[in-house]
Amino acid sequence: MSTFSGINAAQSALQAARAGIDVAGQNMNNLTTEGYTRQRVTLASVAPTGRIGMLASPTFSAGQGVAVTGIARLANEMLDQKVRNTAASAGFSYVRASTLSGLEKSLNEPSTTGISAQLTDFWSSWQTLSNSPNSDAAAAVVIEEGTALAAQIKQGYTAVSSQWDSVRGNASLQTDELNAAAAQVAELNGMIRSALASGTPTNAMLDQRSMLTSSIATLAGGTVTQNTDGTVDVLLGGNMLVSGTTANAVTLAGPRSIDGSGAGTNPDGTGGATAVQLEWASRPGAAIALDGGELGGAVSMLAPIDPTGTGASGTGGALALAADSYNAMATALTKKVNEGLAKGQTASGATDFFKLPTSGAAALGLTIIPTKASEIASRAIGGGALDGSIADAISLIGKQADSPDALWSSTVTSIGSTTKTELKLSVLADLAATSASTNQLANSSVDLDEENVNLLMSQQAYNAAARVLTTMDEMLDTLINRTGLVGR
Amino acid sequence: MITRVTSTTMMNSASRNMQSAAAELSRLQEKASTQKNISRPSDDPAGTAAALQVRADQKLNAQYTKNVQDGNEWLTTVDSTLSSVTALLQRANVLTVQGANDGALTPAAKETIAMELESIRDSLLAASNTQYAGRSVFAGTSDAGHAFTSPDYAYAGVAGSSVERRIGEGQTIRVDGDGAAIFGEGEDSVFAALDAIAADLRAGVNIGPRITTVATHLTTVSSQQAVIGSRQATVLSAGETLLDAKVSLESRRVSIEDVDLAEIILDLKMQETAYQASLAVTARALQPTLMDFLS
Repeated sequence: MSTFSGINAAQSALQAARAGIDVAGQNMNNLTTEGYTRQRVTLASVAPTGRIGMLASPTFSAGQGVAVTGIARLANEMLDQKVRNTAASAGFSYVRASTLSGLEKSLNEPSTTGISAQLTDFWSSWQTLSNSPNSDAAAAVVIEEGTALAAQIKQGYTAVSSQWDSVRGNASLQTDELNAAAAQVAELNGMIRSALASGTPTNAMLDQRSMLTSSIATLAGGTVTQNTDGTVDVLLGGNMLVSGTTANAVTLAGPRSIDGSGAGTNPDGTGGATAVQLEWASRPGAAIALDGGELGGAVSMLAPIDPTGTGASGTGGALALAADSYNAMATALTKKVNEGLAKGQTASGATDFFKLPTSGAAALGLTIIPTKASEIASRAIGGGALDGSIADAISLIGKQADSPDALWSSTVTSIGSTTKTELKLSVLADLAATSASTNQLANSSVDLDEENVNLLMSQQAYNAAARVLTTMDEMLDTLINRTGLVGR
Repeated sequence: MITRVTSTTMMNSASRNMQSAAAELSRLQEKASTQKNISRPSDDPAGTAAALQVRADQKLNAQYTKNVQDGNEWLTTVDSTLSSVTALLQRANVLTVQGANDGALTPAAKETIAMELESIRDSLLAASNTQYAGRSVFAGTSDAGHAFTSPDYAYAGVAGSSVERRIGEGQTIRVDGDGAAIFGEGEDSVFAALDAIAADLRAGVNIGPRITTVATHLTTVSSQQAVIGSRQATVLSAGETLLDAKVSLESRRVSIEDVDLAEIILDLKMQETAYQASLAVTARALQPTLMDFLS
């Protein structure tokens, strides 16, 4: 063993202690950095060099100090995986729950001004007309209430339609975000691979990539697989979104409005998708099966009434179903009132009260035909001039089992209970996501107390190594300056 | 794995707890300030359906109450008219009996009776054309503006067509007087009968046989008035029922939609305390680190 090997060993200890202080400092510096994963110096004691040959003394010797073997990033792939999975379902539920909350707010029920109240006012006004069938004032009230009802149905439909537009707009932005994140992951993959090959630190890049894959999961679900060269692949619906250093772009295709218009055509000339869907830019027309994420939630909300074309219930998008209920309301109202009035008579012979538009959404174009009492067929055929029995019969429509009122009530109830369920699911998914991210943070986040302790320990280690060095120095001083001076 | 606690996780969970306490506080404040248990359908989907139903029933109740008032006024008009018709017919009856007493009367006296009978006929005709709110109460659904006109006393109403008021979901009540049944039509009408008596008196024909005719009309009017009276009783009792229903509908609406004030205030106060506690605890827990104790 060399005389100076102790000094070398002490020096390695000084270096190790400094590395420890540096890393503790780095951790404390990044206390609040989002996505930062705490790091540790990994140390290993250096074994004494082996002795061989005839002169090898049988004496034992201490090791040659300590070596810094690396700076470990204390991440846990299993916890990261959990965060991604729960983020995907939380994102999915969040979009669904918030869309449905918006939808149920637009219903404006229960209230004194909602459609339900307006319907009752409308039916009541027919009673008043029945009491004085020749009164233009009573007729004006019926016409006014009818117009207000048509306006409210139109307003409700418009609210749903604009909500659809905003969900689609958001989904479109999220698609751009997804593409950007995928491109960044691919780029980081390349950087990490070459950094690993050249032995430069990759921890910061790994942190960034982990955040990006989490945000991809929040956006669109998918799975992440780790490759041996340090890169990761991201799969969406079973196909590669990111494969090594290549990112495959996705696009949001399908209708641009709730009525299914604006889908455009595919490059090969076939018609665009009938439902809003995420597609590979390279393969237009083929939908990506999303297993979660905000985009998955948005696509499920934007689905048409019967996306599978089989009439299976529960597959339609909530917004399309709500819009359809408004149309059904307009149609049922027109049918019921006009059918009832057909039993009556007017001077001109025309009895219809409501008129549906010839094209487009029924809810948007519902109009009222009569303008005064004599044009409303409140008088039964064969009845006296002041007979109001037809108006009375119309006023009773609201109580029928298949009335527009019942239709509306069931729409409100079903949207209400769907919203309630989705809100609960969203709370649960949030809880799962929170717990997963708490677990991840518990593992990877920086704790000041701990870093302080590490800092102190490294400092003490440094002091101790310096002390060892001083001792060595004193020994050498004794050896060099005092040897052979005995008896002088 | 036993969860490692770091300053980050502590801060996260503290802010999450404060957030959830604040969210609950805001939810309770909304409830307390709006006094509504159901402010959106998802609060209680089944309750929403019930609330819609109750509100619709309340509106209907209000409309039926209006109908009842209107019907009651129609029937009151008909009833009071029939009372005066009865008085007139009783006088006509007396006059007829008097006029039938042939031997004791001079032609001048007979003429006086005939003239009075004619004036009674005019009064009856006017009574038969009584209007309520611009509508002839004995003319059914006709818009002629009168029920009978001289000289042919034809009934202007449409046979079998009556004025009805809806006083309940499955209940309508006739509120007009059946002019044809009360006064008779054309030749059979009470007006024609009085005309005939007056003519007989003037012609010196004994009007003895006519006494029963007048008496029959009197009976008819009385019995019709009894019918009107019983309808009015029905309308009034329907009004009572509607009033009761109004009260019970309102209490049902309140129990479905509105909050229990005492309960919500108590919840709100408790949540305020909980929120303040979470603030206080967070302030204490986040302050110290090892750094505070190292010199």
